[in-house]
Amino acid sequence: MKTSDIFSYAVSAIRLRKLRAGLTTLGVVIGIAAIVALLSITQGLQTSISRQLQTGFATNTLIVSTGRGSFIGSPGAVTADSDFKLLANYTQLIDGIPGVSMSAAVVQKQGRINSSKGEELMLTMVGVDFAKYTSIYGSTFLADHGEIPLDPDNEAIVIGKLVADPSDNRTSLFAVGDAVDVIWTNTSTLPFRDKNYAGHITAVLKEIGGFGIGPSDFSIYIPILRAQTFFGTDECNTIIVQLDSDDGALIDSVTDAIEEAFSGEVSVTSSTAILSTISSIFATVELFLAGIAAISLLVAGIGIMNIMIVSLMERTREIGILKALGMKSRTVLLIFLSEALIIGLMGAVIGLASGWVLANIVTIAFRGGGFSPGGQGSQVATNVGGMSITPVLTPMVILGALAFGVLVSTVFALYPAWRASKLKPVEALRYE
Amino acid sequence: MTVELSRPIVETMKLKKTYLLGKVPVDALQGVNLKVEKGDFLAILGPSGSGKSTLLNMIGALDKPTEGRVFIEGVDLSTLNDNALADLRREIGFVFQFFNLIPRLTARGNVELTMAIPGLGKDERRRCAEELLETVGLKERVNHKPAELSGGERQRVTIARALANNPKFLLMDEPTGNIDSKTANEIVELVKRLNEEKGVTIIVVTHDQQIASRTKRTVQMLDGLIIEEQVN
Repeated sequence: MKTSDIFSYAVSAIRLRKLRAGLTTLGVVIGIAAIVALLSITQGLQTSISRQLQTGFATNTLIVSTGRGSFIGSPGAVTADSDFKLLANYTQLIDGIPGVSMSAAVVQKQGRINSSKGEELMLTMVGVDFAKYTSIYGSTFLADHGEIPLDPDNEAIVIGKLVADPSDNRTSLFAVGDAVDVIWTNTSTLPFRDKNYAGHITAVLKEIGGFGIGPSDFSIYIPILRAQTFFGTDECNTIIVQLDSDDGALIDSVTDAIEEAFSGEVSVTSSTAILSTISSIFATVELFLAGIAAISLLVAGIGIMNIMIVSLMERTREIGILKALGMKSRTVLLIFLSEALIIGLMGAVIGLASGWVLANIVTIAFRGGGFSPGGQGSQVATNVGGMSITPVLTPMVILGALAFGVLVSTVFALYPAWRASKLKPVEALRYE
Repeated sequence: MTVELSRPIVETMKLKKTYLLGKVPVDALQGVNLKVEKGDFLAILGPSGSGKSTLLNMIGALDKPTEGRVFIEGVDLSTLNDNALADLRREIGFVFQFFNLIPRLTARGNVELTMAIPGLGKDERRRCAEELLETVGLKERVNHKPAELSGGERQRVTIARALANNPKFLLMDEPTGNIDSKTANEIVELVKRLNEEKGVTIIVVTHDQQIASRTKRTVQMLDGLIIEEQVN
């Protein structure tokens, strides 16, 4: 029997039971749509995060912090049995290592600032060398308003975009030229005491968005020397090291040299290592989500099998007739597989389209709703809100979804189709 | 060469078939020897349970005997595999008591399907199907589905279908069993004409004396054996 005739026969069988075929197709549609939506959203998220990381992440940098193996050098993670302190002036030592173009100490504390109108904001205070920081994070440590002084006076303050405008609605709370009261509570000695000094805002940064290791929208930046006297310490949280290039071998050799220089008391993290860790996390998340979606497709497959078995019972006599007319077992098998194939293909195509629509609806809702920074929104939410996600549909996902839909439906139809093909003509004809 | 020519179109030798009805073995055929020559018009008569339908299924390669041999044009069916048997069935025209048409296909669709199985082209199929339906007197009903046709009309479609692939012979199982006597008469006329004018070999299983009396030859079966042969 010609392939075209097999297909048109299969179509005539499907058309006879439209509702049933429709519901079976719906199962496939839901499975494929779930996979496509989840994958295109995660891929969109990944793309948007990597884009942000690459801009805010200067790939030719290393981050030196105390403690070992800490991810993204969490401040104060000193190993229990060590009294090693990372001092700001260790930058001189690091600068001497071949391949290092410069290094900058970063002092970081939680504090608050008060505007002259009496509004108070909790935030992260970061003490940095403005000149070095500008050079390292050239793409994110950029002024939107005002100017970042390269040789700042002690009271100069640079604020992040969301410090200036915490509600993200263009009503600025702090602006260039404002005098602010910088407050930090010293909790290292009892009783706790507030320290404060009066600063003035010289620049507001451009919006950075997302996560990153470098500058953030919700921090204020003060000159490192001011920070050291204010916090009363010559320790720093991290030292950012800028290398001559982002060559992998150079990153490795400098990493080793720094670790050696500090006898293994520091941990050195490269930006590229963090990037690859993040993308491997994403790969895991993606796999996990795809796995969940695949379960729904499995259910759809069982649905197809079920329907094919019912159809097999109903059409036993028909199969008997076909065999009496001289149809080969293989052709009967192909007819049944074609029916499943048509259902699977239809389901996959419709599922692909609806998954894509779903992904777009979800990301639009995501952008406009839940995660947008509200007036008193938390910092994390605000940070995430700064990022827009556009679902990404790769050719891999398109082909994969189509192939998977077709594969699942035909694989689950194999057994019923095989049973249909094995029916004995006499018995099938006698079947009531 | 003469041997070739005299070879019967259907021949059975000591054909036995035992069924299991639940757990009870039933001997449906107990050694049937039958020869059918080309151009013959044979009626197989007998009460129900005498094994005539079983015999028909064996000749039609729909079922396999427990013992004995079936030869179609000298070919021993027991030597054929499933695919070869399927190919053979294409050259046998079946007419069933319960019509066994595909309900979702039209009269023409049913006839066409038979020709689609060996892979005949669309246009050719259509032309042949319409010709055959005209032969059985259904020219006006080609686009009707089985449910829209009377019993007699359905049986005519079945006959048209059976003739579709220029079969070596027609096997009819109670062809008039489900239609009224007037229509049955017309069907018998049609079948007789096919045999006389077109030389189609026909084997028909029936209760119907009216049919039997108009065939060339009848055999009488009882308890799985042929007990009487008669040339009309």
